[in-house]
Amino acid sequence: MTTRHNAKLAEALESCRPVSPAKPNILKMLLAIQSALGHVPVNTLPQIAQTLGVTEAQVAGVLSYYSDLRTQLPGRHLIRVCMGESCMANHGGRVFRAIQDHVQVAVGEATPENRFTVETMSCAGNCAVSPTVMIDEDLRGRVTPSDVPSLLGPYK
Amino acid sequence: MKTTRLYLANDTSSLAAGAGRLAEVWSKRPEIQLIRTSSRGAFFLEPMVERDGPNGREAWFNVAPDDVSRILEGVGGTPVATIPFLRQQTRFTFANFGVTEPLALDEYQKRGGLKGLAAAQNLSPEAIVEELRLSGLRGRGGAAFPVWKKWQVAQQAQSEQKYVVANADEGDAGTYCDRMIMEGDPFRLIEGMMICARAIGATKGYLYCRYEYPAAAKAMQFAIQKAREADLLDCDDDSFDLEVVVGAGSYVCGEETALLESLEGRRGVVMAKPPYPAESGLYDKPTIVSNVLTFATIPNILANGGAWHGSLGTEGSRGTMALQLGGRVKQPGLVEIPFGMTLRQALEQFGGGMAPGARFKAVQVGGPLGSLFPESQLDIPICYDAFAKAGAILGHGGIVVYDDETNMVELARHFMAFTADESCGKCTPCRVGSVRGREILERIQSGLGTEADLVLLSDLGETMKSASLCALGGRAPYPVLTAIEHFPNEFRGRLKV
Repeated sequence: MTTRHNAKLAEALESCRPVSPAKPNILKMLLAIQSALGHVPVNTLPQIAQTLGVTEAQVAGVLSYYSDLRTQLPGRHLIRVCMGESCMANHGGRVFRAIQDHVQVAVGEATPENRFTVETMSCAGNCAVSPTVMIDEDLRGRVTPSDVPSLLGPYK
Repeated sequence: MKTTRLYLANDTSSLAAGAGRLAEVWSKRPEIQLIRTSSRGAFFLEPMVERDGPNGREAWFNVAPDDVSRILEGVGGTPVATIPFLRQQTRFTFANFGVTEPLALDEYQKRGGLKGLAAAQNLSPEAIVEELRLSGLRGRGGAAFPVWKKWQVAQQAQSEQKYVVANADEGDAGTYCDRMIMEGDPFRLIEGMMICARAIGATKGYLYCRYEYPAAAKAMQFAIQKAREADLLDCDDDSFDLEVVVGAGSYVCGEETALLESLEGRRGVVMAKPPYPAESGLYDKPTIVSNVLTFATIPNILANGGAWHGSLGTEGSRGTMALQLGGRVKQPGLVEIPFGMTLRQALEQFGGGMAPGARFKAVQVGGPLGSLFPESQLDIPICYDAFAKAGAILGHGGIVVYDDETNMVELARHFMAFTADESCGKCTPCRVGSVRGREILERIQSGLGTEADLVLLSDLGETMKSASLCALGGRAPYPVLTAIEHFPNEFRGRLKV
């Protein structure tokens, strides 16, 4: 753990310290930590529980419930392929397979050089311009399997 | 130098279609003054660029950076008023789309914004609820509950604190109108929420926005800040405090009790009702939870009167519906029309038929829990009653068309797997039923299924329908069972002989 890491963690913990003891917000805290550190390291659970005045089990329960909370740091670039119905209807499954073939890594795991992590998402709300692939904050629409190499190229 | 004003949408889907690249290239050209508007919702034409013409705006479709010279010369544009996809719509809630800059409060006001709130401020809380009763407005998130009834309960509840919550957890795949509203006309949502706050006596509001909509959350935060600076959030002597909260990727958090659990920071688990949130909701206080589209519909109702809204649509389904076309249609996009048109008409008139080379197989209405309709059932009118009678739902207005390359067994498995992933785990029919349902479908898919599996699936579906706590488990069997009903040979053909 670096000093910088610890400072960021402390800041996130402090920002979500409950104003009223009756209203500890576990989800808000976990999102704040993920925003600061890129993930929620499992070893921070005791500190989170203590700051919020709840049990570690309650924190772990929330952490495991929400699919966008992660306990592992993803690769430098996170590729999210939409699996919503409109994307499926427009053969987004083929795009997904093309991406998997290209990066050669299992869903949720980072590539060996830590460049990419590939995940699926249930809907990006981009249904009228589907199929959709989201890379970091960039949303791409009307993606075809042959677009994949040029789409991923700029993300080093 | 003469500068030409060009309008380009800044909406997420427009950007995904390439509007961002145009903006990047054109921002370096001093002869272009680029105005970033909301999108008209004709996404099949995006990126679409407009400029002022002698008879209103003219548009260029599917624009690439090199098209700039003919746009600047004014060659080849189409008057926006003549685009059939848009001309045939009845835009009330989406009237500003493509026209205004989303965060320009003055433009919003110039086009009739805040009139509904002003009208509400001249009415007693009871009279506001009465206008909503006359309007016939039903919740647009999926449950279609009469809005006035819910508001009346919260209004009559005695409490020192009440809350207004906008449900912006638009999780139904195939829907995007809430995202468009938040990104494209955020003050309309704020106005609707403030009218609700006045009607029920709430001083605090939350907007629960899904994690997948970062641009929408940001736009709402900016708009709330602007509204606050303009003293808009001060209502009589009370001030209305409004806050954006972002979720973390749980579909079931679109269910109101699960949403409130999540808002309080816990697992987004569904709670048994009663008590209803209108009686006892957020932190056990009376709370109105309504969908974004519902709130955004309300300013026009107060501005024009409940009777005006009540005169639109069909009996039982008053007003307009925002249909969101997606999948293999030729013209995907947002369609606002009064209730009553048939599904076939909507798909032909607005959808423009199938995408090039694709042949129709089925259409799904109402998101991942919506029923599938084959070609023979497309003459159903788009209204709550007709859909309820057919055992289907309009849901949030998502319409996804599948072509003949779609494998129905795989699609059915996808639906059950979705529910198994997203089930909150509170009730057994959904938690266990969805997993067993997925397993049966996987068995059929792998060629090991038997006739008994189809019987079991049907039996399981009926149990889930009648015994689940919320619509996730209760509706999950519909797309699966309608797939089997309309395409039996695809399932039977996979069975072990």
